[in-house]
Amino acid sequence: MLKSDRKSARPDIWLYLHFPLLPLETLLPQVPTEQVQKPIAIINQQKNIQRVLCCNTQAAAWGIESNLSISTALALCPELEVLPRQVEQEQQLLQQLALVAYSFSPVVILNNSEVWLEISGCQQLFKGYDALLQELENRLRYQSITAVNGIGQNPVVAKLLCGSEFETQLPDQTEIQRRLFNTELNLLETNRKQQQSFKQLGLNTVGDLLALPRSALSRRFDSELMLTIAQLNNEKPFVAPRFQPANTFRDLIQNPQGIFNKESLLFPMKMLLQRLCQYLMARQCYCREIEWHFEPLIGQSQQMQIQLSGSQNNWSTLLMLSRLQLERLELPRSIEQIILHADQFIEAPMGVFNLDLFDNQQTTQQSCELIDSLNARLGIDALSQPILNQDYLPEQASTLAIPGKHSSTAFNQKLDEKSDEKQKAPQPLWLLTDPALVQMRNQQLYWRQPLTIISGPERLCGNWWQAEQQRDYYLACDSKGARYWLFRETSSQRWFVHGLFS
Amino acid sequence: MPNNIATVLSRQDTWRGRSQRLPRRAITTGHNNLDLLLQGGWPISALTELIPQQPGIGELSLLLPTLKYYADNNQLCVWLDPPYQPYAPRLVSADIALDKLLVVRSKNHAEWLWAAEQSIRSGALLLAWTKQPPPRYADLRKLQLAAADSGNAAFLFSVPSALSAPSPAALRLELKGIEFNQLLLTVRKQRGVASGACLQLSLGEANTQRTNLALLPADRHRTYPIQQLNN
Repeated sequence: MLKSDRKSARPDIWLYLHFPLLPLETLLPQVPTEQVQKPIAIINQQKNIQRVLCCNTQAAAWGIESNLSISTALALCPELEVLPRQVEQEQQLLQQLALVAYSFSPVVILNNSEVWLEISGCQQLFKGYDALLQELENRLRYQSITAVNGIGQNPVVAKLLCGSEFETQLPDQTEIQRRLFNTELNLLETNRKQQQSFKQLGLNTVGDLLALPRSALSRRFDSELMLTIAQLNNEKPFVAPRFQPANTFRDLIQNPQGIFNKESLLFPMKMLLQRLCQYLMARQCYCREIEWHFEPLIGQSQQMQIQLSGSQNNWSTLLMLSRLQLERLELPRSIEQIILHADQFIEAPMGVFNLDLFDNQQTTQQSCELIDSLNARLGIDALSQPILNQDYLPEQASTLAIPGKHSSTAFNQKLDEKSDEKQKAPQPLWLLTDPALVQMRNQQLYWRQPLTIISGPERLCGNWWQAEQQRDYYLACDSKGARYWLFRETSSQRWFVHGLFS
Repeated sequence: MPNNIATVLSRQDTWRGRSQRLPRRAITTGHNNLDLLLQGGWPISALTELIPQQPGIGELSLLLPTLKYYADNNQLCVWLDPPYQPYAPRLVSADIALDKLLVVRSKNHAEWLWAAEQSIRSGALLLAWTKQPPPRYADLRKLQLAAADSGNAAFLFSVPSALSAPSPAALRLELKGIEFNQLLLTVRKQRGVASGACLQLSLGEANTQRTNLALLPADRHRTYPIQQLNN
């Protein structure tokens, strides 16, 4: 819970954000482009009557305004496009807008469809409040959201002072006080009976109300109004839960017309990734994995997982990887809904803020990006890394594994110490996955060419607990100087080629 | 197309009239004689084509010092379509960090070319083995240009039949094994130098020590007839 009257040297500055066209702007991206220029109105069901909630400027030009009944609206403008309100999608959009606000200030309140943020601590970061307000307006406009704001010393005042446009100049204390005193009382959220008693008392503005002695007021009005008056005067705190970004990210874009090719998928994917990055920035973390769902109108949806070897919060890299992987994917014919889901995050690694000039952070970053893009284009089966196991048989000592999943550095050092103690027999660079059988021709070993043994043997035993193996390894060479690693199985007396020295 | 004059001038292949030529950038091969032959070592910002007469004659051991240099620099080494599986214990004994190696298998020629170019451009050391059919001149030129832009060394292992075809690689070396542990290198193409120079390289001392089988530790879990071991 957040109390607005925190003990601090600086007075609080609260910003109230109101989105008057939110129901319309939620649905606009889904409207086909040719219809956007036509008059559109959003309607809301209220007690069996459908009323206009908000409309675009084209509709307003026809005389449509909020609270008109749908029949009146259609009578005024016969070609009006009427869309029902989508409360759930509105809430999703609000969450996004709260995230935008959260990137400006850590103190954000999201209450129903109202957003407040406290900006008194953010002056230095944005180099002044006016720059902050300007930046906020730009960010909201980039999201194509119409917003108006109000500024005050506490949330209640800020809401009361909400004007009809976005203010980018911070008013000073006396200006706020003057505006508050001049605010008309009918903007105060009270019931009709109290509004009537305001009129009877001859009270027109908030200033008139606050000028009266408190004891006189408390006799005349109920406790709710008294609480509001106390909050206006900063005497009682405004209590509301603080906004926190959700623990997992899930967002979707709907396209009722359907998307038929991969190229046109990229734009909505870019938008979703940008939203993801906004979320990651707000939470100050990096994602390890993202998941796409492509859902058609009818039929099975298609999934695509993108795993990252490093951690990322850059949308363009994520888009590039998604695009590469998308090329390999068999998609449904028409896609109606695209969902982006991410739930594996890590805290921002300390190295990101490392300002060491000679740090090799960049090359590591490059390697991770290369692995990711190869992975996305060629598939996970195409990549592998050699790893060392603690085993005597060569095919088990050296295996291939998925990159990044294995760390063998600690073991490497152990082996190094061991090899220092004893001069080992030479080892090949290439290993044949399946040992190739060597023929005997005229008492000579023959594999592609006649082979002669140079040195050896070195005896290796292993796997005695199941199929016992005892092998004598030899170094052999052919007439052209190529060197081979041969072994003879003691049990069967057969010769095999197991490696090339190269 | 680079439009910035500084970018153009910083390129290694830009010739400037008055000034001296930029020192040739190269990284050491780890063999002194070879460094002399190649005027400093393996050229960086260029594609190097190695053409071993047959696999197994020591073509990969030539690159071990380079691999170690890149791995120590925390750069990735991409092995694109190697003919066999790399043997980890040998790489570890050469002090190469295994997590810096990446083996990539391509399914077709387009993937091969894409992965090769991507690796060069991402600052990794590329070791690529050509597939059948051999890559076209235009494809190799793509790789050579990528290497020139990135400032990294890139190595291509070709089959002997590629020798008759032209190549855009900055350096072409033919490798022949003469006898055990002896490698003959012939320069087939090198910038600024006439081709045809040869160098015989010895790959470590020859260990021809034979061990008596009877002295080896016997298998404790099964007994074998003595005459079988000695034949």
